Amino acid sequence: MIETILQLAANGIMSGAVLAVAAIGFTMMFAVLRFPNFSLAGHMAGGAYAGWIANTMFGLPLPLALLCGFLVAGGIGVASDFIVLRPLRRAAPITLAIASVAISLFIENALRFGFGNDLRSFDLPLARDWVIGWLRLGPQQVQNAGLAIVAMLILFVIFTFTQTGRAMRATADNAGLAAVKGIDTEKITRLVSFLGMGLAGAAGVLLGADTSIEPLLGLKVILSVFAAAVLGGLGSIPGAVLGAFAIGIVEEASQIVVPATYKGAVGFVAILLVLSFRPSGFLGRRQT
Amino acid sequence: MDSYLIAMVTLAAIYAMMAISLNLSWGLAGMVNLGLAGFISIGAYASGLLTTVLGWPVPLAILAAMIIGLVSGVALTYVTLRLRDDYLAIVTLGFAEVIRLAIVNELWLTHGSDGISGIPGIVAREYGYGFELGTLALALAAVALCYWLADRVRTSPYGRNLRAIRDDPEGTAVAGKNVTLIKVKTFGLSTAIAALAGAFYAHYTSFISPEIFQPLLTMYVFLALTMGGTGNNRGAMLGAFLLIFVLEASRFIAPSLPQFSAVQHAAIREMLVAVLFILTLLYRPQGISPETRHR
Amino acid sequence: MVLIVRDLVAGYGAADEILKGVSLSVGAGEIVSIIGPNGAGKSTCLKVIAGLLAPRRGSVTFKGHEIAGLPARRTAALGLAYVAQENNVFPSLSIQENLAIGGYLNPSTRRRRSDEIMGQFPLLRERRRDAARALSGGQRQTLAVAMALMSEPALLVLDEPSAGLSPVAAETLFETIVAIKAAGVSVLMIEQNALDALAISDRAYILVLGQNRQDGPAADLANDPEIRTIFLGG
Repeated sequence: MIETILQLAANGIMSGAVLAVAAIGFTMMFAVLRFPNFSLAGHMAGGAYAGWIANTMFGLPLPLALLCGFLVAGGIGVASDFIVLRPLRRAAPITLAIASVAISLFIENALRFGFGNDLRSFDLPLARDWVIGWLRLGPQQVQNAGLAIVAMLILFVIFTFTQTGRAMRATADNAGLAAVKGIDTEKITRLVSFLGMGLAGAAGVLLGADTSIEPLLGLKVILSVFAAAVLGGLGSIPGAVLGAFAIGIVEEASQIVVPATYKGAVGFVAILLVLSFRPSGFLGRRQT
Repeated sequence: MDSYLIAMVTLAAIYAMMAISLNLSWGLAGMVNLGLAGFISIGAYASGLLTTVLGWPVPLAILAAMIIGLVSGVALTYVTLRLRDDYLAIVTLGFAEVIRLAIVNELWLTHGSDGISGIPGIVAREYGYGFELGTLALALAAVALCYWLADRVRTSPYGRNLRAIRDDPEGTAVAGKNVTLIKVKTFGLSTAIAALAGAFYAHYTSFISPEIFQPLLTMYVFLALTMGGTGNNRGAMLGAFLLIFVLEASRFIAPSLPQFSAVQHAAIREMLVAVLFILTLLYRPQGISPETRHR
Repeated sequence: MVLIVRDLVAGYGAADEILKGVSLSVGAGEIVSIIGPNGAGKSTCLKVIAGLLAPRRGSVTFKGHEIAGLPARRTAALGLAYVAQENNVFPSLSIQENLAIGGYLNPSTRRRRSDEIMGQFPLLRERRRDAARALSGGQRQTLAVAMALMSEPALLVLDEPSAGLSPVAAETLFETIVAIKAAGVSVLMIEQNALDALAISDRAYILVLGQNRQDGPAADLANDPEIRTIFLGG
């Protein structure tokens, strides 16, 4: 029993690390743009396909494919922000949220048009599971989690030690004041869209490397991503990371009691519980 | 009347119910429901199962479907009421996904992705043309009822409070009013209507499966309402007819682009829906028939 | 003159005009106060000067540049530092980071200024790693002013700096403002405590219903019996 629990916890930490990358993207965009950007799902899939092309057609190794996924999804993010969301900046947050659903629908179907609905997989070396004591770890999962953690560390450095990172956090705190201090908040918004959607794309590549990719790849995990962000407190980056690990572990652990097919529902239940008992999340401040 | 025309108008009437439902929650109260497809499928499956498995009479099953729709809507809003509207968006989206998962996985009840077939019509199918016309008449009557209900809500003092809540989420304009109760009641009514639309769909087409109630359906209804005019029940109905027109017109994509596969045709169609929705938001956000402001 | 405002007309909605032709000026090294009853348009006037609200008519000339209608970050780049009445610090950033953002437009002098300012305000140095959220009201105002000074502005525009502060904290803040003037920075401010404001000001303007009512040396206004009864509650 204890072995099973530890094994599930290890799996949960590995999948949580990948979730965290997407959840950071979601929550940082929420912090600056003040609406839940549902097109994260489409951007995840877009990034995953970019990484897949880089890997299977150009033979690039996973870390470089990851970078391609990041750059392409970030680029799509800036484009969709510029074309659709920027003209709606003054509209109600809910209007923006719904527009973002349409963006996702467009990206997913553009992918479907280009690549069909078939599952595709990355060209990665197959390796035997590592066995440490009674713990079994898939080398690919470990590598994915490692890459996710590296991505998070890079982001942490940007946010903490660079003036641009500080400017992003300042804009999230109070955009009006940031403008008074000379920050070009529109530029920061574009940068946040690039980084946020880029992270979504990177997470898409990691998810694809774990299993396979399809146009609805993002939609399938989006609830877990939202749950992670809500759990940690919308807008809080450390919160999103904690939330993602928690959701990853709980999703794995839930398999003890419910069939694995209901994994997607775990996030929803977590959201409901958090909203009922601690709406501001682990690390969030009170939102009304 | 031509059978094709009857079918299109019946379908438009069903979409009109969905659009009125969305208008009640989103248009009038500013409560977004991104899980509309979930509530529609609840209605469809409740009514479909009650008639096929338990042999309930159709009207009773539809009524039960509406009650289930109402209860689930109330339960869901209750959790998110104290919070910003973004949370309701996330929660309703999640709700629809969980309902979809349940329908796909609970094979013993729903037959999973095979769906449920042989759902009886509201008017017996044996009547042929009589079934078609009868269903159309009933659907139009149901739309009229929904419209009457929704418009009473809109023009009553209660509706004024709703708009005040929508336009001033801080709640200063409605100080002293029971905002919570107003919101819960409105959302419950709207999800009951969504369930009604779902039940109608099930009894009309006789077959339902999880494929039909994808998030795309929610998007269709948003498109209908936005094109017609958010906040305006007449706009909602108008938008439903426009939507059917757009969807039917998009059938010509396939013959005119034969070099693409069926999957690609479907993809083009959905991209068109997305683009049309975004263009409406950007260039005609008030819709064709804008909300008339009366204070 | 560092700042010359002429015949400013401005408002928020389409219909209402809050400012109906306000004129004022601030000279080099001067402290100038704007006083007047609620609804006189004092805050609106400062917002237009800072570039947060575009005026309908009138001109704002800062160091010889016409700045009316320029966005806030452009007026900031010219050396005009505006401190709002509230929400004037970044709560989740540390004090050190707040100061760094204060010097956002002056990357080359940022480090030096930060050291100088922390020397001037030992409290900020002591708590430089704390989040601004953790500061008391008076400390927060001090930080807001310190942030504004990071950019070595020619003019500091303060909207009710002492609002909500204890008398002791307000007095400390006024001392700070006097010290800022001594360093050669001009100050334009609105104050609730009109008498305290006049005590440290060189000149003052009285606004009523969006129009100039009276102006002159602060000491004269403070001693004018009519003004004392109507505006200064004395």
